Amino acid sequence: MTQHTFLFQPKISEVMKNINKVMIGKEDAALLSLVALLARGHVLLEDVPGVGKTMLVKTLAKSLDCDFKRIQFTPDLLPSDVTGVSIYNPKTLEFEFRPGPILGNIVLADEINRTSPKTQSALLEGMEETSLTVDGNTVSLSDPFFVMATQNPIEYEGTYPLPEAQLDRFLIKMKMGYPTAKQEMEMLSKTSGKHPIHEITSVLTRDELVDLQKEVEDVYVDRTINHYIVELVTGTRNHQGVYLGVSPRGSIALMKAAKAYAFIHDRDYVVPDDVQYMAPFVLCHRMILTSEAKFEGTTPESVVQELLSTTSIPVQRNISE
Amino acid sequence: MMDGHNQGRMTFIYRFVIYAIGFLLFCEWLRPLETVTETEDVSVFYIYGAFCFFISFLQVQWWLSMPLKLIGMAFIIDGLYIGERIFSMEWMTIVYEQILFNAEVIQTREWWQMTPLFRSLLFLILLWLMSYLLYYWFVIAKRMFLFVVMTIVYVTVLDTFTVYDGQWAIVRTFVLAMLALGLSSFLKEMDKESISVSNFRKAHIWVLPLVLITLFSTIAGYASPKLDPQWPDPVPYIESAAGGAGAGPGGGGAIQKVGYGENDSRLGGSFVQDDTPVFKALADGRRYWRIESKDTYTGKGWEDTLAQPVNDVGNVEYKTFTDQVETEEKSSFIRMERGASFNKLVYPYGLSSLNEEIIPPGYRFRVHENTGEIDTVKGDSPGRLGEYVVRYDFPSFEYQQLRAADSEDPEEIQGKYLQLPDSLPNRVKNLAGQIMKDKENRYDRAKAVETYFSANGFEYTTDNVPVPKKNQDYVDQFLFETQYGYCDNYSTSMVVMLRSQGIPARWVKGFTGGEKIDTTANGDGDIQNLYQVTSSNAHSWVEVYFPDIGWVPFEPTQGFTNNADFYSDINDEDEDGAATEEDDSTTDSEIGNPQQVEDSASNGSDAALGSASDRSYAWVWWTLAGAAAAGLVLYFTRYRWMTAWLIWRYRRNKDEKTYEKAYTYLLTVLNHKGIKRNPDQTLREYARMVDTHFQTNEMRRLTNSYERTLYRNEDQSKEWGKVTELWENLIKKALS
Repeated sequence: MTQHTFLFQPKISEVMKNINKVMIGKEDAALLSLVALLARGHVLLEDVPGVGKTMLVKTLAKSLDCDFKRIQFTPDLLPSDVTGVSIYNPKTLEFEFRPGPILGNIVLADEINRTSPKTQSALLEGMEETSLTVDGNTVSLSDPFFVMATQNPIEYEGTYPLPEAQLDRFLIKMKMGYPTAKQEMEMLSKTSGKHPIHEITSVLTRDELVDLQKEVEDVYVDRTINHYIVELVTGTRNHQGVYLGVSPRGSIALMKAAKAYAFIHDRDYVVPDDVQYMAPFVLCHRMILTSEAKFEGTTPESVVQELLSTTSIPVQRNISE
Repeated sequence: MMDGHNQGRMTFIYRFVIYAIGFLLFCEWLRPLETVTETEDVSVFYIYGAFCFFISFLQVQWWLSMPLKLIGMAFIIDGLYIGERIFSMEWMTIVYEQILFNAEVIQTREWWQMTPLFRSLLFLILLWLMSYLLYYWFVIAKRMFLFVVMTIVYVTVLDTFTVYDGQWAIVRTFVLAMLALGLSSFLKEMDKESISVSNFRKAHIWVLPLVLITLFSTIAGYASPKLDPQWPDPVPYIESAAGGAGAGPGGGGAIQKVGYGENDSRLGGSFVQDDTPVFKALADGRRYWRIESKDTYTGKGWEDTLAQPVNDVGNVEYKTFTDQVETEEKSSFIRMERGASFNKLVYPYGLSSLNEEIIPPGYRFRVHENTGEIDTVKGDSPGRLGEYVVRYDFPSFEYQQLRAADSEDPEEIQGKYLQLPDSLPNRVKNLAGQIMKDKENRYDRAKAVETYFSANGFEYTTDNVPVPKKNQDYVDQFLFETQYGYCDNYSTSMVVMLRSQGIPARWVKGFTGGEKIDTTANGDGDIQNLYQVTSSNAHSWVEVYFPDIGWVPFEPTQGFTNNADFYSDINDEDEDGAATEEDDSTTDSEIGNPQQVEDSASNGSDAALGSASDRSYAWVWWTLAGAAAAGLVLYFTRYRWMTAWLIWRYRRNKDEKTYEKAYTYLLTVLNHKGIKRNPDQTLREYARMVDTHFQTNEMRRLTNSYERTLYRNEDQSKEWGKVTELWENLIKKALS
């Protein structure tokens, strides 16, 4: 699956190199984060604490010369803690808006499922819109705006699982996973002295990043590819183990992700490989399985894998529309 | 450790069983040889086959197995053909010379000259190779289905097209094949699932259902009703179209072509007409062209036990009758044609001399006194005389004389020509007795037997004539079971019946008169006819001994006329209306067979007609076969010629559609050649796979370009040259 043998787009290559200085064995996660960033999407990281979620976002933010904000979600966190609050200034006799952490470029929303749905939605609504209304003031969100939310696996005690409608707003949901023994050894030796995060510098300006995002929009997607995407997505809706299939928003997301992935690999057109690679990360969190399927051990991942292996790749143009 | 050992043993046993079944199936290939070819003893081939299979199974190193197999081969060749002590200097010399001689023969493409030793040697080598091949198929690849199918096809084809009876062979093949396929599929399944035989505890239980199913289906198949053959025996059509020189009726008992042949030890079997010219003869009338007689009836055919004495003479004379027979001096000119495959003289009755003037120097003749065989010898080896003139005293037998002949035969004649095998069923003798019951003299008795066949509805045919089974007598089968057949059946039956009643008789081979193709007058003003004698005119008839007169030819075969001359003294003309015929060049006498009076000319033309219609059938057959063969060839080579055609086409059209078609075609070819692409495999992944397979990067380059066309909608016509080159290279690699 990994296609890192292919050449990266030169600027992305720089970013990847930077991240690899800090993160060990997390190329896939870094790559997916970049896909989401370039496609103007957001990432939901689901994993246990301590596997490097925060470090990944920090490194990304530092490499990109972006404003990095972090919100630690707790059960008593209020929406205004996310969006910001107007405070009365006795000097000017006016309410002054103190922007919350959501107004950064890269926002790490840590343990998002630990807080109440009310606070969650304050963040999630911001992710969908480009502006935010607080106390009657409309505040534009920064550009680029990239949220990386993390959540502990939902079986853990004291969590508020994200509703499906909210999950849909994340372009990608992924896991970090534990490093291998070798990677962990290397990691220990790297972090024994000064932490490498302090040594990296930014390799991409904010404007360059916005330009890249525009270029991604221009990546060409052929009808054959669209057809392939639609076949995959409708496949989830017709699958007998799926209670709720992937929405049309999912199709768009898959196309966007594939475009970004193609761009990262220095291609201005999408090939089926891009779609195949992105499909599990884009589609899995957008479907609900039936209880029977869950009971039988079917997972969204296995459904997507099954669809990928049964859907024919278009190798000719004459497809039936 | 224990498990591993146990498993090893189990797999070994299974492998052995499978390979043993392979050998047994292979034996089914050898088995028909005895019936279909002239191979006398195939057991030696079984033994050598088993030997090779065994050594292959042991999988010893080549430096050990090769000498072993070679030594085995040497012993067999030694036992079969060479009298010298094995591996002695002389022995080596003989083998060396044989190989040298046969190598020459092969170079000159004179296949028929290959010696039996060399042919056996080649066959043994074939067995050797087969043992390797089957080891690979059965044990290593575990793919025996093809061989099973081939075996079944082989047996059915032999069953259909030859006298080989494949009924049980099919049953055996079926049982063996079922077992082998079951076993191998079990082993394959085990391999696939990575289950070791020993881990699978009750591993052996599964053998039971396999055996039961095999037994059940065999019995069901055997017992269930089956359709009769749905088409007539196709052999005659095919054979008639095959053409070529005749091997003679009575070769090894297989389907044969009519013609003169020397081996009559197993008579029977169908044969087909063959119009290959054998010789032309200039004569004033139709004659029997005699070659030889045979004396010993074995129950299956004729053997020649009286070959001696042989007189090596410069000129020849051979008379089968005494001076009491009236004769007329005549001469005939004979020119042998290319179709003649024997080095013997054909001569009319009463041969008195050859015109030496036109015989090339160096030719000698060896006359076999008893049989009348006259070998032509040039130097020390047999040589065929191209043309010669025979002078002969043409006999005319007088009825009264024949009827009055003394029935006291000389002892010498009795000793030689009353032989019959012990196995001859009594009913033959009884029938003979019945036929001759009321006849008083030898001539009438012989005549009674001669006419018996036509009077009792015996049918003349060359199709579907069976070969007697193992415990069956050739004559008995004809007289009581089939009641149809051709000259060999009739003549042999007549000889046997006469002998059973104490009348000395012998079986004679040669040719009938042939077809008149021209009439000329010679210098003396005598009319001479030119007769064309073909392989179809090969014939056998009967000679009956009459004391003081000699051997008199009789013609029992349905539809044939006796070419010998009989007459009555005017005074004695009291019976036998048909006996008035005088020697007539076009109408020969047909005695006692009035309803079947048939001139051999019409007989000849019948044969010609028959073969003509055969040929028209053959035409259809061959066209169909040709079309089928062409179709098959086209089908199997479809990727090659389609590629050639597409390359030609793609070089001209440079549009996107062509590109797409070409690329898809490449995928098809690769798929066909075993590099399979799953439908969910992307072109890049597949390209990487293909490149790994061919050790190139061409498929990746081509695919990159194709992807730009397909997924980028980009025009690639600028790169057309490069793309076509890549495509052609890949196609060629795939097809090589």
